[in-house]
Amino acid sequence: MADDDKGTNQRMDDADEALALRAQAGDRQAFAQLVRRHQERVFRFVLRMLGSREEAMDLTQETFLKAYRALPGWRPEARFATWLFQIARNATLDQLRRRQLVEFVPLDADAPGEAACEPHDAAPLPEERLADRQRIGLLERALGALPAGQREILLLRELEDMSYAEIAATLGVNEGTVKSRLARARAAALAHYRHHAGESPDDRSA
Amino acid sequence: MTDPHEVHASDSDLSAYLDAELDAAARCRVENHLAACPRCAARLADFRHLAAEFARLPRESLGCDLAGVIAGRLAEEARPRPRVHASGWRGLLPLGFGAAASVALGIAMGAVLFGGGAALPRMAAMSVFDPIPPGGLCPGLDACYARGADMTGAFK
Repeated sequence: MADDDKGTNQRMDDADEALALRAQAGDRQAFAQLVRRHQERVFRFVLRMLGSREEAMDLTQETFLKAYRALPGWRPEARFATWLFQIARNATLDQLRRRQLVEFVPLDADAPGEAACEPHDAAPLPEERLADRQRIGLLERALGALPAGQREILLLRELEDMSYAEIAATLGVNEGTVKSRLARARAAALAHYRHHAGESPDDRSA
Repeated sequence: MTDPHEVHASDSDLSAYLDAELDAAARCRVENHLAACPRCAARLADFRHLAAEFARLPRESLGCDLAGVIAGRLAEEARPRPRVHASGWRGLLPLGFGAAASVALGIAMGAVLFGGGAALPRMAAMSVFDPIPPGGLCPGLDACYARGADMTGAFK
C-alpha cells in the first residue's frame, strides 16, 4: 500500500515537473493544468490556516499568481508541490500578520464568505451524524486555538500527508525540528481538544 | 544499557513512530518500550486518535475552477498598458488641437485687451472709477496709501 502511494506520488511529481517545465517555457495551458491539479490542496491548507473562506479563495489565487511570476526561478530539483506550498504558506503567514489574527474564525461562522463558490451541504444533518459533527467542531476549535506555527505543521502532516522531509522543505527547517515541532503541536492540540470536550488533561483514552 | 521501562518514550519519538519516520533502531527501541509501558502506549493511542479525527475533517472544496480566473488575470497583466503614443501620431491629434485652440484664444484675448482698436475706449472709460468705493475696505496697502506715505498714512 505504501509502495503504491509512493509510486502514485512519483508519477504525480513527474507530471508536475513536465507541466512546470512547459509553463516555464511560456505554455499557459500547462500552468492552467498545474492550477487544476493543486488548487484544492492549496485552498484547503489556506482555509484551515485562515478560517475564512473568502480570504482563502483570494489567497489561493494570489498563491498561483505568485507561483507563475516566480516560475522562472523554479528548478526541477525542487518538488513542484512543495515549492508551491512554500509560496502558499508564506502568503498565508503574511496575511495572518497583516490582520494580526488573535482568534481563529471557526469555519461554521463563516457563512458570508461562501457566495463565491458552491456552499457545501447546508441541509440539516441527520441526527446520527450529530455526534460526528460535534467532534469535528471540537477538533476545529482545538486547531484554531493553536499558534500558526503549530497549526501549519499539523495540517501539512495530518491533512496533506506530507513526509517529514517534505514538511522540512516547505517550512525551511530541518527534519529534527519537524519531528519535535510536530510532537509539540500534537500534544497542544490534544490538550485543547480535551479542554473543549470538558475532559481533564489527565484523562487518557483506553 | 538502561532498562527501557525506566524512562518513558518522548512525545517526539512517539509522534515520529506514529508517522513511520523513525529509523530502524529507534523504531525497535520504541516498540520494545511500548510493549511494556501502558502509559506510553496510551499516549501513542492519543496521538493515533487525534490523527484519526483529522482524517474525519470534511474536505473543504473550492467548488469552482480557478484556472480560468488565473489565466484571465495573467492575460490582463501581460496586456500592454495603454500609452499615449501607442497609436502613433494620431493619438496626439486631440491634444494638439486643444493646445492650438488654447494658444489662439490667448492671443485673441491679448489683442483685445492691449492691442488698441475698440478695446481702448472701454479701458479709458473704466479708469474714471475709483478702485475703492466710498466707505469700502482697502484691498491692499498699495491701493489705499499713495507712494511716499508710511503705513500710518502720513506723508513724509
